[in-house]
Amino acid sequence: MNKAHWHIPITIVFLFLGILLSLQFQAQTRFASDLALQKTETLIAMVRGLSDKRQKLALEILDLGNQLRSQMESTQDEKKLLESISQQMEKLNIVNGTTDLKGSGLTITLEEYGTVFYTDLLKIVNELWNAGAEAIAINEHRITSHTTLSYTEYNFDEEVQPFFEEDYMMFITMNHEKLDYPITIKALGDSNNLEKGLTLPGGIMDDLALSNVYPELEKKKKLTIPALHSPSTYFFLNEYTPEKSNP
Amino acid sequence: MWFILPVLGLILGAYLGSTVTFQLPAIYLKYMSIAVLASLDSVFGGIKSIMEEKFDGTILLTGFFTNALLAALLTYLGDRLGVDLYYAAVFAFGVRLFQNLATIRHHFLINYRKKRSLRRGEKSE
Repeated sequence: MNKAHWHIPITIVFLFLGILLSLQFQAQTRFASDLALQKTETLIAMVRGLSDKRQKLALEILDLGNQLRSQMESTQDEKKLLESISQQMEKLNIVNGTTDLKGSGLTITLEEYGTVFYTDLLKIVNELWNAGAEAIAINEHRITSHTTLSYTEYNFDEEVQPFFEEDYMMFITMNHEKLDYPITIKALGDSNNLEKGLTLPGGIMDDLALSNVYPELEKKKKLTIPALHSPSTYFFLNEYTPEKSNP
Repeated sequence: MWFILPVLGLILGAYLGSTVTFQLPAIYLKYMSIAVLASLDSVFGGIKSIMEEKFDGTILLTGFFTNALLAALLTYLGDRLGVDLYYAAVFAFGVRLFQNLATIRHHFLINYRKKRSLRRGEKSE
């Protein structure tokens, strides 16, 4: 017997036998674990275990659903809060004049004739506020709580002492900047009400007419009012909280 | 130590078979089992022929594959024809398997006794 002769075929055959056996073993195990081949007792136990599991899972689903709902509600609350905060922000921006505004309103144009004092402008602005204006600007200067309206006298020739009033040049200034003619006052609000407020008999228009000033009123459907050029900054303001008084 | 190489082959084959992800459909389980039985018979036949010193590698290899395939095919054919050839194959291969095993056992015993008597003879001389 040639030993090398029979080693190789036998090894090959054993290799294939191993493959076949393990495949068959796997297949048979799978087949034996088939539900149809199980004992009734084990099947009952399995059903019980599975139904227990199912009950637990159903409870878990309920619990998770509740959690989800509460989470959704809390996010909705957050959304509402954010919305109200952003609305407040918008309002504050409008009031403080940090954003451009647009809407319907009235423009009042003053040409350079007659004598217009800054007090006339103040009166017009006051009257407009009274008539329900919501935002006012003079020559692209937004009027806020910090706006100043004033005037400067300016002498062109330093050496000649001014004698008459005509020798002075008077400028109306707003926020310390010279106001150029024509002065345009823009007011946002109900244009009819604004116009009526200005043209009341014995009102501001009649007053101005006495000094030969005839402002031009114009109702406009679309008006834009610019934002403040330099919004004010606060360093010394702190919110006041009342001290707790001792009883 | 002549059996080390075949045993290694068997282990390697089992490992390969377990790593294969291919799953045999349950319908073919029956034919597969018959094929396994036939190949087991072939293997023991081969071992027997080694014992009897009549081993032929070609006969073993061809016998291994053709027996397995034919057994599976015949069982399938029997199923188609309505004749349960499955039991016939199980019986035939089973009987041959046990016969082969018995022959292998006999040869082991004969060899063992021969060796023992030889050893005794050496001692007595």
